[in-house]
Amino acid sequence: MAQTTIPQRNPTPARFQALLRWGLFAGGILVLLLLSQKFIHLDIFPESWNVGLRGVLNEFKRWVVVNRNSHWMFVFFFEPLSSVIDFTLRRVEDFLLWLPWPVVILAIFILAERIRDLRLALLMVACLLPMGMFGLWQESLQTLALMVTAVIFSLALGIPLGIWSARNDLVEKILHPILDAMQTMPAFVYLIPVLLFFGVARVPSIIATVIYALPPAIRLTSLGLRSVSDEMIEAADAFGSTEKQLLRKVQLPLALPTIMVGVNQTIMMALSIVVIAALIGAGGLGEVVLKALRRLRVGSALEAGLAIVFMAVLLDRISAAMAQIERHSVQLFRGYRLFSEKQRGNKLVGMLERGISRVYALGSALTDGVAKYLAKTFGTKARWLYRHSDWIVILLILIISTAIFLPLGIQNFPEALYFDISKPVDGVVQWMQVNLYNIGGSGIGTGPLRDFLIIYVFKPLRVFLTDQVPWSVIAFVFVYAAFAVSGWRLMLAVLTLIMSIGLIGMWPFTMDTLGQTLVAGVICVGLGIPLGIWSSKSDRVDQLVRPVLDFLQTIPIFVYLVPVIMLFGTGSVAGLIASVLYAAVPVVRLTNAGIRSVDVTLKESAQAFGSTWLQTLFKVEIPLALPAIMLGINQTIMMVLAMVIIAGLVGATGLGLEVYQGFANDNLGRSVEAGLAIVLCAIVIDRITQQFARKASQAANLN
Amino acid sequence: MSTVQLRNIWKIFGPNPEYVYNTMDPAASRSDILSQTGHVVAVRDVSLDVAKSEIFVVMGLSGSGKSTLVRCLSRLIEPTVGQVLINGADVTAMSIDDLRQLRRHTVSMVFQRFGLFPHRRVVDNVGYGLEVRGMGLSERRLKAYEMLQLVGLDGWEDRYPHELSGGMQQRVGLARALAVDPEIMLCDEPFSALDPLIRRDMQDELLNLQKELNKTIIFITHDFHEAIKLGDRIAIMKDGEIVQVGTAQQIVAHPVDEYVREFTQDVPRTKVLTAETIMLPHDGAHKLAGEAVLHNTTIEALIPRISSTDEFFPVVNAGDEIIGVLDRRTVLLALAES
Ligand SMILES: Nc1ncnc2c1ncn2[C@@H]1O[C@H](COP(=O)(O)OP(=O)(O)O)[C@@H](O)[C@H]1O
Ligand SMILES: [Mg+2]
Repeated sequence: MAQTTIPQRNPTPARFQALLRWGLFAGGILVLLLLSQKFIHLDIFPESWNVGLRGVLNEFKRWVVVNRNSHWMFVFFFEPLSSVIDFTLRRVEDFLLWLPWPVVILAIFILAERIRDLRLALLMVACLLPMGMFGLWQESLQTLALMVTAVIFSLALGIPLGIWSARNDLVEKILHPILDAMQTMPAFVYLIPVLLFFGVARVPSIIATVIYALPPAIRLTSLGLRSVSDEMIEAADAFGSTEKQLLRKVQLPLALPTIMVGVNQTIMMALSIVVIAALIGAGGLGEVVLKALRRLRVGSALEAGLAIVFMAVLLDRISAAMAQIERHSVQLFRGYRLFSEKQRGNKLVGMLERGISRVYALGSALTDGVAKYLAKTFGTKARWLYRHSDWIVILLILIISTAIFLPLGIQNFPEALYFDISKPVDGVVQWMQVNLYNIGGSGIGTGPLRDFLIIYVFKPLRVFLTDQVPWSVIAFVFVYAAFAVSGWRLMLAVLTLIMSIGLIGMWPFTMDTLGQTLVAGVICVGLGIPLGIWSSKSDRVDQLVRPVLDFLQTIPIFVYLVPVIMLFGTGSVAGLIASVLYAAVPVVRLTNAGIRSVDVTLKESAQAFGSTWLQTLFKVEIPLALPAIMLGINQTIMMVLAMVIIAGLVGATGLGLEVYQGFANDNLGRSVEAGLAIVLCAIVIDRITQQFARKASQAANLN
Repeated sequence: MSTVQLRNIWKIFGPNPEYVYNTMDPAASRSDILSQTGHVVAVRDVSLDVAKSEIFVVMGLSGSGKSTLVRCLSRLIEPTVGQVLINGADVTAMSIDDLRQLRRHTVSMVFQRFGLFPHRRVVDNVGYGLEVRGMGLSERRLKAYEMLQLVGLDGWEDRYPHELSGGMQQRVGLARALAVDPEIMLCDEPFSALDPLIRRDMQDELLNLQKELNKTIIFITHDFHEAIKLGDRIAIMKDGEIVQVGTAQQIVAHPVDEYVREFTQDVPRTKVLTAETIMLPHDGAHKLAGEAVLHNTTIEALIPRISSTDEFFPVVNAGDEIIGVLDRRTVLLALAES
């Protein structure tokens, strides 16, 4: 099986065809170049072709503003929906803020202990305390309230839809592409229409979050229900269950673990757009980050960013633990083994563990007492009540502690416990700005690097793409690429999409963004593929790289904007570096995975023929891993594009900045146009690179 | 009168079973039909009468269509052709609601791999059938406790199924089926997943329960020993068809073909065969000398009494009438024939 045929080099027709293709390509470009000298329309995308979307949209917005209180659509649909959401959010938020802070911590602590163990409970406290210590307690709870509300609505919508699509193949088929689109589209694409219909406030940010976070809830509910075994369904049928009973008593409970995975993912998705949601007034931690970014207060941005990370860890771990909750009739005595065997001899450890078990014993005694009391007063009827007597005890403890803390006025986190890291961080930033900017006046440092990138890379590239090359030539390159990797249909689609970008008047901005995307993409690939190869060859490197990649992928993007701005200031370079950090992950991962999954026998046979290490790599492993690598490149480019809006936020020019300035200047049309251009651009590049990857994998299979 | 009657039941699996049923060659074998049409004839023209309070065993190799047949009874699998009558009512013509009532009150089922709900405590598993009927919590709990006591599981009510051993789990399965107080119980290889020793216990348990409860039990097994131990009557299935129906003695004494004979081969004939099955006709040709032998005495019990004499013994029925005769030679010949 390890035989590889050497590709025949000479069949003339194929060679001729390739020559013809390149000739066509070069000829096309040449002709367009010449023509554009003559016809200005082919050189600069004519302003007169602009379809005037901006005006229409702004007109529509004005209409909405005028009719918000009278048109039935608002009175009977958007308004009521809006008030329900607002009502829920307010209740949740008021409740959380009303609770004294020690009760919040205690509640989450006990919850985590019951769901998993003492270790998780302690981790939860370790996540919560810094939020308070950074002076962000209220903002954190606001964000938590936002999450809770958004998740409630996501589940209220997602679980029924998931059930429906599990029971109806047609619904599943219709939902599938919609969910795909929802997950791949940049979040702000629906921020804009949502904004239009609900105005700027917290309701639209919840709606946007719900839309963004909905797909996993639907998907995993459906998956969970569909994977309930036939045996269980048959057993339920055999006892004469109705459809509803089957669903409620058998399928849903059995699908619960999978549904909980969906809940976990929903929460994480929701959290990942907290900062973006703050753009449209979600408040909370996201707003702190944004404000700090705008004022370049790196320290407080970092604090809020860390608080978001802690919130992410907290919500992730606790919902993941819920997904894995086991069913045991006897509550196992967990948490006692907090320390490892080795540490057990230690005196302090012994004391601590004895203390812990005393608390547990107290808890058990209390629970038993309550159970006995309930059994005595209510008899067998209340069995389910005293089976859960531990929860009753917990509820009692929480109520009592609330009753104790409330009169004492302990609600907000006390300032005495503040631990400010923003000042030292600001200090470090200043130091770095001064000292790393131009190390020892040597011309090496972040400043010169930035200047170099701007002067020698971004600017010329922008000038090249926008001013020097006629738009028609660039469009031709894309269209031709589409034809070459796929065929007529993709070519026509790409032609339409590219023209649309021009027609909405976004050509120059798109070229600017394209140039930056290109640079970011090249850097990602240039760094990512060697790193991926290296970590596929060395388990040590792999172990080192993996957690870094995990970290980069899980924490909110905004958080690494902070150190980037620290070093490079705002502008396109900061945007570039943030994009690279965010987007290099898939190409590293997939290169690594692709090479690792190359069949060992193939490598061996290559070595058996005396290939050197390098020859094996380049002649066997990389070609065979090419489909995976191409997929990684595709994902990386898509992620760079997803970062465009965020890069705009830190001052990178191009489409992102347009969107953001549209927001800032209350110019809806401008935002929509730029947003649309990003999406169009993303679709074009995605389709072309995907087809290219497909072709590459076909080629790999053929050989 | 029979409780359960099956009339020419067919079950064909595949995309177009009716068409295959109507067009196939009646003489074609199962594998021919499979290769020609891609359809599996799982059950083929089965007609059976099961009497009230009898344990009726359906025996056959794996793949012979037993599970499919038993599921056709309560239409967990819809038969392609044929009629099922339960207490004279045509199950195949029932509406969904009537069928649901039938499953809730009359027919219940025990599964090979227990089919317990992992998310429900033992007591809630046992009460499931009552719960879907709409019985209140405390009432069904009481009934469930009673059933668990009956199968020897008191004290385990609040456990989850996975905390119990296989044998105990199947007791729960049994209790769950009994809890709805059904007239008919369908058992699809309920003990096949258990260890041999536990299996023996469960068989004894079932026989004991049956003495008290007198259910009509349709019991599926692939183990002939189990079949002869439990079955009042046994039907043997092969490739979807019933090849022989009879009591254990009838089948052991007179297997209809090689397939059945294979099963009977390693059965201890002395334990199964009775005086009645081996006796010669009482036609006055033999001089009767020994004392009367009851018709259902096994050979095992006969041997000590006849081994030391060549005399003929009369075989009598419960009414003390002579229905046949036997002697040492008759017994030896019956043992030799297999
Ligand atoms: N749902 C089904 N679809 C197609 N073929 C099936 C299906 N269920 C059972 N069969 C086939 O029907 C035949 C009888 O199966 P089954 O009744 O399970 O046999 P047994 O219980 O005796 O082992 C087997 O050949 C099996 O492959
Ligand atoms: Mg079976």
